[in-house]
Amino acid sequence: MGVPMAAPRDLRGRPAAPGRALGAVHRAEERPLPSGPPGESDARAALEAAAALAAGELKALSERSDEESAGILDFQIELLLDGELLAPALERIGKGEGAALAFAAAMNAHMDTIAGGGDAFALRAADLADLKSRVLDALAGRTRADFPQGTVYVGRDMPPSLFLAHDWSGGGGIALSAGSAASHVAMLARSRGVPMVVGLGALPVESGDRLLVDGSEGVVRLDPEERLLSPPPSVVAAPVPYAGVAPRARLFANIDTLADLDTLDPALVEGVGLVRTEFLLPSAAEVLDEECHLARYRRILDRLAGRPVTLRLLDVGGDKALPGLVEGSPASVLGERGVRFLIAHPDLARLQARALLRAAAHGPVSVLLPMVTLPAELVAMAQLFDEEAARLERQGIAFARPPLGIMVEVPASAFTLDLFTQAAFFSVGTNDLMQYLAAAARDNPAVAHLYAGAETAMFRLLEHIATTARAIGRPVSLCGDLAAEPAALSRLLDIGLHDLSVAPSRLAGLRAALAGDA
Amino acid sequence: MSELTPFLGRPGTAHRGQAVVEVTHGIGLHARPSVAFTRLAKSFPCTIEVAVDGSNEWFNGKSIVKIIGARIRRGTRLRIRAEGSRAEEAVAALSELVRRNFDEDRKNGRPDGRPA
Repeated sequence: MGVPMAAPRDLRGRPAAPGRALGAVHRAEERPLPSGPPGESDARAALEAAAALAAGELKALSERSDEESAGILDFQIELLLDGELLAPALERIGKGEGAALAFAAAMNAHMDTIAGGGDAFALRAADLADLKSRVLDALAGRTRADFPQGTVYVGRDMPPSLFLAHDWSGGGGIALSAGSAASHVAMLARSRGVPMVVGLGALPVESGDRLLVDGSEGVVRLDPEERLLSPPPSVVAAPVPYAGVAPRARLFANIDTLADLDTLDPALVEGVGLVRTEFLLPSAAEVLDEECHLARYRRILDRLAGRPVTLRLLDVGGDKALPGLVEGSPASVLGERGVRFLIAHPDLARLQARALLRAAAHGPVSVLLPMVTLPAELVAMAQLFDEEAARLERQGIAFARPPLGIMVEVPASAFTLDLFTQAAFFSVGTNDLMQYLAAAARDNPAVAHLYAGAETAMFRLLEHIATTARAIGRPVSLCGDLAAEPAALSRLLDIGLHDLSVAPSRLAGLRAALAGDA
Repeated sequence: MSELTPFLGRPGTAHRGQAVVEVTHGIGLHARPSVAFTRLAKSFPCTIEVAVDGSNEWFNGKSIVKIIGARIRRGTRLRIRAEGSRAEEAVAALSELVRRNFDEDRKNGRPDGRPA
């Protein structure tokens, strides 16, 4: 070709996840920001469209199935065509519920009706569960848009659900014009070893252009000369000899996805200090399926082989959307997220509580409540767990009532731990606590310096938290990026925070820092 | 239920029908029988309702959600009633479907109890 090769050109942003990746650009569609929550008519239309889509899929499937299978599919099609199936869901939408949650709650009620007798009719509940997943998938499909493996994702920002739905095993990286190193997606990228640069401003690239992402330096290179790149950095941390019992700290792992389990040697940790279940179950269909919850929790428990596992209830809202279920919005960082969302949507909370109660029969489970502000929120959730435990007991399903603890990430609760008499333990979420303490959004680059600068206030508060927890005899642990900072380690240990929970990829570095500290 | 809306039935066509029929199918009105029942019911323009004998709770006979929810088991005496155009014909056809065991015997399936 006679076109001269453009010279390589570097653009500087900020490092968000280390490593280098080279690949073809995938430019994300810039969708206009949603103007407020989706309206009722949108939710109705979305649900009806999803039901129609599901019915169409089932008809196509039925036509190429044998008679036995077709009979089962015909049953599901007939259900979908029955106005009575959607009626209770549409009624819930009329009361302001979102489409996915309204539909799932209505389907769960149908299933309860049918499964109640424990006879041949109960088997039909499985068809309803299948149908529920299909419609929820159709609902979520409207917002889900995966991109080719091995490409470099370029966009303004990246929703965590998109990151989680993507298969990163073929490499690739992330280059964002906005974004923040403190965002959830950056946290996920660090934990999965996906190179990521944020704060690049306008990026003059098109889909298909080659782009080098250097997440360690915070730079991307346009028209790179590099042809080949060393394979993506292995997520598995280099084995560091375990120095027996760590001298002053106890290390736990954070788990976001089942893939994290592969990178974790359970023998090297005390247990799992935090499972972010909203990342473990990233689609509406998964999050509204009790059996899916249970299966994933059991995978973690089995892998940990008797070591304790702390699972956090769904923390959705804020910057964490769940397509088809919760629309994320920066504004709701101070609104209905975490336990606030769960209390407002008890059907979802009950579903997860049941799965956790059932999981607790298989291993040592503790449950963490996210974004707790007042003791009444803990009391409400404890009651909900007790009610679901009683229901499981009546149904003869094995369960154990796990201890409930709270995330300490809202300053109001951080200053009043002694009022949370029902809390069995505390876990400090440093990322959110920092953003609320500094009144600086963790994913807003314009205030990143304030977020980082509030460290003195943060350590004073941490000291208060550690002292109060000691005084009332409750264990307290630390999860969040601060726990993984080797530079912060000795200060944390000095104020009495010894239980640290970090991403599997950060364990080796922390262990090395501990060896140096000892 | 209030009085009926005008129908388009031919003069002399009865606008109400009712019958009682015993369910003899292996399990009762589970998935496949209820599909057959509601599909046939929906082919008629009249309203169709069913009730388990001894109960005064009437279900929409065209709704599979309601039929499944009613848990109509083998041995149940099923009451079927219809109002509107071709009501008697609908009741007769649906009763006959129940008596014929929902035509399941004629399908290949597993006639001699072969495991599923």
